[in-house]
Amino acid sequence: MMKSASLMLLLLSCFASTSAFAWQAPTRELEEAEEQAFKRAVSQVAPSLVRIETVGGLDQVQNFLLGNGPTTGLVLSADGYVISSSFNFLSKPASILVTTTDGRRMTAKVIANDTVRSLTLLKVEADGLVPARAAVKESIKVGQWAIAVGRALDANAPNVSVGIVSALNRVWGKAIQTDAKVSPVNYGGVLVDVDGTVLGVLVPLSPQDNSTVAGVEWYDSGIGFAIPLTDVLATLDRLKQGKDLRAGLAGFTFSSTDMFGGDTKIDRVRYDSPMYRAGFKDGDQILELDGHKVTRPAQVKHVLGSKIEGDKLAITIKRGAETKQADLTLVGELPPFEAGFLGVLPTREKLAGVAEGVGVRWVYPDSPAAKIGLQPRDRIVKFRDQAITSAAQLIDQVSRVRPTEKASVVVRRDGKEETLEATLAGYPADLPKELPTSPIEAAAEGEVKKAVEKPDGKVEAEGDKKAEGSDKPRTGRFGEEVADSKNAWWAFVPESYNPAYGYSLLAWLHPPGDTLEATVYDSWKLEAERRGIILLGLKAANVGAGWQANEAEFVHETVVSFQKKYSVDAGRVVLHGYDKSGPFATHLAFKHRDVFRGLILAASLITERPPENLPEYRLQFQLICGSKDPAHAFLDRNANSLRALKYPANFTSLPDLEHRYPNADGVDAMARWIDSLDRL
Amino acid sequence: MSIKCRLMQFAICILQFAICNAFLTSETSAQTTRETIAAVQPKVVKIFGAGGIKGLASHGTGFFVSKEGHIATIWSHVLDADVVGVVLSDGRRFTAKVLGAEPQLALAVLKLNNADGIEFPFFHADEAISAGSGTRVLGFSNMFNVAAGDEPVSVVHGVIAAKTTIEARRGVFDSPYSGPVFVVDGVTNNSGAAGGVLTTRDGLLLGMIGLELRNAKSNTWMNYAIPVKELSSSIGQIISGKFEQKRDPRSDDTEPSAKPRRYKPLDFGFLLVPDVVDRTPAFIDSTLPDSAAAKVGLKPDDLVLFVNDELIQSCRALQDAIGRLESGDQLRLVVRRGNELVNVEMLVPKKREKE
Repeated sequence: MMKSASLMLLLLSCFASTSAFAWQAPTRELEEAEEQAFKRAVSQVAPSLVRIETVGGLDQVQNFLLGNGPTTGLVLSADGYVISSSFNFLSKPASILVTTTDGRRMTAKVIANDTVRSLTLLKVEADGLVPARAAVKESIKVGQWAIAVGRALDANAPNVSVGIVSALNRVWGKAIQTDAKVSPVNYGGVLVDVDGTVLGVLVPLSPQDNSTVAGVEWYDSGIGFAIPLTDVLATLDRLKQGKDLRAGLAGFTFSSTDMFGGDTKIDRVRYDSPMYRAGFKDGDQILELDGHKVTRPAQVKHVLGSKIEGDKLAITIKRGAETKQADLTLVGELPPFEAGFLGVLPTREKLAGVAEGVGVRWVYPDSPAAKIGLQPRDRIVKFRDQAITSAAQLIDQVSRVRPTEKASVVVRRDGKEETLEATLAGYPADLPKELPTSPIEAAAEGEVKKAVEKPDGKVEAEGDKKAEGSDKPRTGRFGEEVADSKNAWWAFVPESYNPAYGYSLLAWLHPPGDTLEATVYDSWKLEAERRGIILLGLKAANVGAGWQANEAEFVHETVVSFQKKYSVDAGRVVLHGYDKSGPFATHLAFKHRDVFRGLILAASLITERPPENLPEYRLQFQLICGSKDPAHAFLDRNANSLRALKYPANFTSLPDLEHRYPNADGVDAMARWIDSLDRL
Repeated sequence: MSIKCRLMQFAICILQFAICNAFLTSETSAQTTRETIAAVQPKVVKIFGAGGIKGLASHGTGFFVSKEGHIATIWSHVLDADVVGVVLSDGRRFTAKVLGAEPQLALAVLKLNNADGIEFPFFHADEAISAGSGTRVLGFSNMFNVAAGDEPVSVVHGVIAAKTTIEARRGVFDSPYSGPVFVVDGVTNNSGAAGGVLTTRDGLLLGMIGLELRNAKSNTWMNYAIPVKELSSSIGQIISGKFEQKRDPRSDDTEPSAKPRRYKPLDFGFLLVPDVVDRTPAFIDSTLPDSAAAKVGLKPDDLVLFVNDELIQSCRALQDAIGRLESGDQLRLVVRRGNELVNVEMLVPKKREKE
């Protein structure tokens, strides 16, 4: 048996070497030998493959319809540890059944998940199972035969697909790629060598997305992935502890989001992270990771992509002329990021002007700024010895200092400079009771075009504008149906719009059944005019049914197009939901964190688990509802949980109001909150 | 469908060989894959008929099963035409009439018109073989009508992924055919491919490529062929004119799920938890004292996993399975209690008529 197998291998390798010189048609003998090798390889691994069936659970996850047929798992130990693809348990089944090749059927427990590589470890109470043989990772070569084997299609025999190893270290170093057909009928099964040694465990993966369904769209396409079995075995003991394995974090971010164009200069070292504890600092340049030279963020991701909490990372950085080396132990979770707060609203200056320092528009009472005597019309010219040239830069600098830490502030007042030391605080939960508006100079003649309200009260359509050949931004109230979709929007741009200043943008998402267009327009118009807010009312394709998950792109694109057309301060783009549109607004705010910097939920709860608070995506929350609203206490609790995650969160209670859209006081509070989003 | 089209572009190796010689008999023992392809292609024909609207293809594939010009193909809308056109691998054109069909096997047999005196290369349907998973196979068909001119059909290669059975059940396999199939790991089943052939690497006849089919168990498109062994006696009978179409057992006996449920869990003395979602697991809520269920020791919170060896994935599935029982049957249950699997058996009680 062994002898004929090695003979066959010899035959195969002969073919491989001759074909390097000239293509020869494979002989019948070779084709037969290969076919026999495939079958033998499958029969070698078959005793280690189990069939998995699930009972109960969900039908659908993230708009993805789940099958409920059998799937596959791989035996790792004689005493009943079985590894499979997490995809097979997406439905969160009530019960999992495992059937071995010898016909034994047992219930299985989920022990733990490896969230990085999309694997799930099961345990059955059994002995005498046949564990698989793992191929040495270094011996796996691109171009060698690779056979995908599962046990989903037929109860009595494995299902087989034959291909080759297409690539190694794919999906940020995690997986072997193969052109054998990989799909739900063999996820959790194996990729084996031509002699039946296991190369890896088949899972869906995608380099762009980390979710468990990512990569399923590539099923049977010739793009399939397997996690090397040696890597699975290396973390088996950790998985057996019963704790899910999370991605390993070092605790740094880059200033550039360009994976391939940016450099490896560290923008921020996260507080109390492995990097922080090893003494690394903002501005250090990463030179090497685990002995690999890195010059771009993509290369860094390639080294870190397969790392799990508890893994080691050797890092070398450059700081000025010196280099520094450390061995880090990666962690699964960092302490939540919390930005420091000085207590200042910066003056909204003309965008074009180059200024030295940032003017103080308003000082929060009892804030660190108030305590060191900052006053409106002062100019902050330096912060922590950095020369300040814009409000955005100052916000970034202040956020780098943690609450209770000290920072030096150089202030220019009446032509004289003074150096002060402030002890920063956390963001206040309460809104300032009074907040003076920020003056906006009138626009020069002809810079904008006013929308004309027609005698019947209707607003002229967007198309009319083009007829006049003007591409100046419109002001007033106007609207548009969106071509190629059933969506529409309306907008109100302050009549006094002056593109030389940055405006807030409020994207309003109506609840199902009623766009509330008149209510929102009437109650917001004056505040929008006073505080420089552009209102954008988006309409669901089916107003009655409300927002559907697939309309997220419409909202995102419309908001981004308004940002391009108008002078919008990127730090004051806010989503606003009320009642049943709250969950959709929340989903969008969490999904597009690069666009939305504020979320106002009126009489609606946060139902989705908020992501980690990240320094690179500032996000602030306002929850508002009437004191007689049944949801009142829950909203208050929501705001507290957000604060526990170190998000700035305001809760505004409106006395004696039932469950309805906020009254004039409520709109005043929301407008004040929006007008203070650039606080620092 | 768009995914499948995309797959076409990069996942399929289409080999097209110009035919220099017309092989008139199939007896030449094919040696290599290349020789097999050259030998098989003249036996496969392109069929043109009805369709072309609403996304339905108007082309299909068939293969010769006699030297007189009988063609086996898939029973599909393409044959719903006044005239069915047949184009051979060398470009010769014929019309054909439908000689007979067996919709349950998804089979139709055509006969070429005006073909007297011509001999065609053909497969011996009664010599079709079976093969196991891992066997190298070749699929021949006019998928997407790529072979539009005077040229042979497209070839894809792969291995048999599995031999399994599909049961035409609404919601699982929306197929007219129930029975064994060869599942293939290459993308053999595409628009217009149905009616093509699946052969071994050395040209032995295995199966007829089926219509496009989605497997609801895994939510994937299936690539499969119906074993010609299952079709050969019907093909022979249609050619010889002795064919009698079997009565479709489903024609007067609609979906099993539409049947009245003869028995309920309560007939055995247990109640299930409230059925709240599509896949509510079949947990036992309570048992009645002195009932059959109580006597065999069923307990609240037992999860019913199997009824007579059928996996039960939800309350609804359990009610269907119990509803189909007949008086006098044995009801064998496997339940999960904690981490244990427990087997129990009960006799299905007699039921008074008109209940």
